[in-house]
Amino acid sequence: MLSRTAEYLYWISRYMERAETTARLLDVGYRMSLFPNPSGYNNEWESVLSAAGAIEGYKNKYDTIEQRNVEDYLFFDESNPSSVYNCILNARNNALVVRTSFTPESWLAINKTYQEILNLKEKKFTKSDLPDLTEWTIEQVNLFRGSLSSLLRNDGYNFLFLGLFIERADNSARLLDVKYFVLLPKPQYVGGNIDNMQWSILLRSLSSFRAFRWAYNGNITATKIADFLVLNNNCPRSLSFCIQNIVKHLTNLTCSPEKVGRIYNNLKDLNTKIQEEKIETIVEYGLHQFVTQFIRKISSVDNEIHKEFFN
Amino acid sequence: MYQSESVIRNHYNNINDWLDQMTSKVILEKNAEAETHFRNIGITFSTNNETARERIIPFDLIPRIFTYTEWLKLERGVIQRAKALNAFLADIYNQGEIIKANIIPKEIIYKKKSFEPSMFGFSPPRDIYSPIIGIDLVRTGPNDYFVLEDNCRTPSGVSYMLENREIMMRMFPDLFHNNRVTPIDDYPTRLLQTLMSLAPIKCENPEPVCVLLTPGPLNSAYYEHSFLSDQMGIEMVESTDLFVEGKYLYMKTVDGPKRVDVVYRRIDDDFLDPLCFNPQSVIGIPGIMDVYRTGGVNICSAPGAGIADDKAIYIYVPQMIKFYLGEQPILDNVETWNCEKEQELKFVLDNINELVVKEVDGSGGYGMLIGPKSSKSSIDEFKTKLSRNPKGYIAQPLLDLSFSPTLIKNQVEGRRVDLRPFCLIGEQAQLSSGGLTRVAMNEGSFVVNSSQGGGVKDTWVLAE
Repeated sequence: MLSRTAEYLYWISRYMERAETTARLLDVGYRMSLFPNPSGYNNEWESVLSAAGAIEGYKNKYDTIEQRNVEDYLFFDESNPSSVYNCILNARNNALVVRTSFTPESWLAINKTYQEILNLKEKKFTKSDLPDLTEWTIEQVNLFRGSLSSLLRNDGYNFLFLGLFIERADNSARLLDVKYFVLLPKPQYVGGNIDNMQWSILLRSLSSFRAFRWAYNGNITATKIADFLVLNNNCPRSLSFCIQNIVKHLTNLTCSPEKVGRIYNNLKDLNTKIQEEKIETIVEYGLHQFVTQFIRKISSVDNEIHKEFFN
Repeated sequence: MYQSESVIRNHYNNINDWLDQMTSKVILEKNAEAETHFRNIGITFSTNNETARERIIPFDLIPRIFTYTEWLKLERGVIQRAKALNAFLADIYNQGEIIKANIIPKEIIYKKKSFEPSMFGFSPPRDIYSPIIGIDLVRTGPNDYFVLEDNCRTPSGVSYMLENREIMMRMFPDLFHNNRVTPIDDYPTRLLQTLMSLAPIKCENPEPVCVLLTPGPLNSAYYEHSFLSDQMGIEMVESTDLFVEGKYLYMKTVDGPKRVDVVYRRIDDDFLDPLCFNPQSVIGIPGIMDVYRTGGVNICSAPGAGIADDKAIYIYVPQMIKFYLGEQPILDNVETWNCEKEQELKFVLDNINELVVKEVDGSGGYGMLIGPKSSKSSIDEFKTKLSRNPKGYIAQPLLDLSFSPTLIKNQVEGRRVDLRPFCLIGEQAQLSSGGLTRVAMNEGSFVVNSSQGGGVKDTWVLAE
């Protein structure tokens, strides 16, 4: 497989994953805007922007944080590199180059999405369209993911999934980083309205709201949520699940065992730690520190993948 | 379709019945379906502005049909021509017998920009310079076919031939139950076999590694490049994916360097090797020509193959056929006046109202004058151009191109068509059972180029 092909495949799934994350974040913001909140809605839109890593870009463009502008910035804005529009455009441009490396269905899924978002962009949307836009995005990303199931299980497949899980690990960790404080057991918040709302933001943005209920019995507690999102291997967006899958798809690569070995060596400590750790220990150590380190590690693994395979 | 004013030719009867039972609503729906399909699969032109909508070529639902016997003649004629063109290239880059025999003057060949001096004395595998040739044909009567142009470099359009058939089979399966249409979907397989049969001498691999070299996504034929490489299961590479080391060409893969045996290049000569051609070029693979000449890789088509489809060389193709193959040409050339010659220039200037004047280096239907259809001022303008630079022009009579039934605003109307079938020459010479039919969608127009309102049709060859 061409190095360039591997790189493009890797980025296609990163972009598609990011499109979904951004859309889900918007949905969370939208829900929050429908609830009465004493501290005002703007805070929520601000944390949506930070979780999307778009706060700086947004503030360069707009003076105040307003729903309409946030929506536009995160969904359609061409100057925001992580807007859903840009993610889809980039995924499509990459797919155009490597369409020979996956199935016609995968190409169709991406190209149709692209054709449709051009139409959506031309139409002026209103505030209440947002749930439809989110739903549409998730549907499109699922179409793409579904189309991957008929791929040959070769290195291209593994690069696609490496990209997916690197992006997801990064997205989940960043979300946790923005919201880590709500998971800290501070007595004054427990059981409070704000807390519940904050937890639901976190779970919804990780598409895990209902899954959490099924996975844990009894009362919702901060520790349980932290455990679910950091350590639970059944939760497809938890940090541990992402790491597990990064290791899996990395070690499934048949090309260059020595390159795979080098990247794996860098990753294996984190993997072992996250599989064995207890959530209490992590919280005690500092969830924030843990997540920060995790993000740094993922970014260094990403750098190594680029250096070893794509150059 | 029509034999005379109102008599329908036999092999169009089925189609006529089919058309009769289609309501305008169905036609509208099917047109929309085809357009959506072409957009979804991405068979579009790129534009420079990435966010602007890409364009698609209008697709006409009514197929153009050739009977088996009609096609036999075309097939023999095109293959004959393709063989002669390759023989011509092998000759002029080596002994130059055709020049010694005073059939073609040497200035016409050796002064052309498309002649590649560095190819002199080198013979590519099997002496095939141009393994994929697209020949543009028009028809003016039941048995009168004329060759308008040969395309020996990197003819495009074959993806339309294949996709037009796919969409027709998908939308109108019954048509294919009721008509015996020769399949064309084995074209990519045959193309790959052709490329593999042209492995360079130093290739030890029983299954030579072929790649398709594209200039990249901004090229207007990019869809075709990715389509063909996908169908053949070979890598589509850009020049940055390739590099030369020692006497071989390699591509950069996740496993490290992998040797490449045959390059099906879809880029121009100028951009192949900055060491050899255009030193300003930022694309290209430094050293590839050296590897090529020492038998480490084959480049298809060969650099310098373009001389064979030069408009000034075109005039001599019938003589080439006699000279190299000892055969009578099966397909005729269009009578052509070479304005470089004084007498012919005079004739052209005197009769310009009746003629089509073309730039020697022009393409895409631009830079030409259709005398009978032009205003006095544009004719005068061309006369001045001609007198200033006679060797830049040729002239031909205006051919009465055949009409093919075409759906225009839900009505069947006649529109002029041409045809480009694709000939492959490697271990054997073969012609696709079909081709790209281009249709001038504007009433009365003679120009079928997509850049000027041309559309495309599915092209059927009926089985015996």
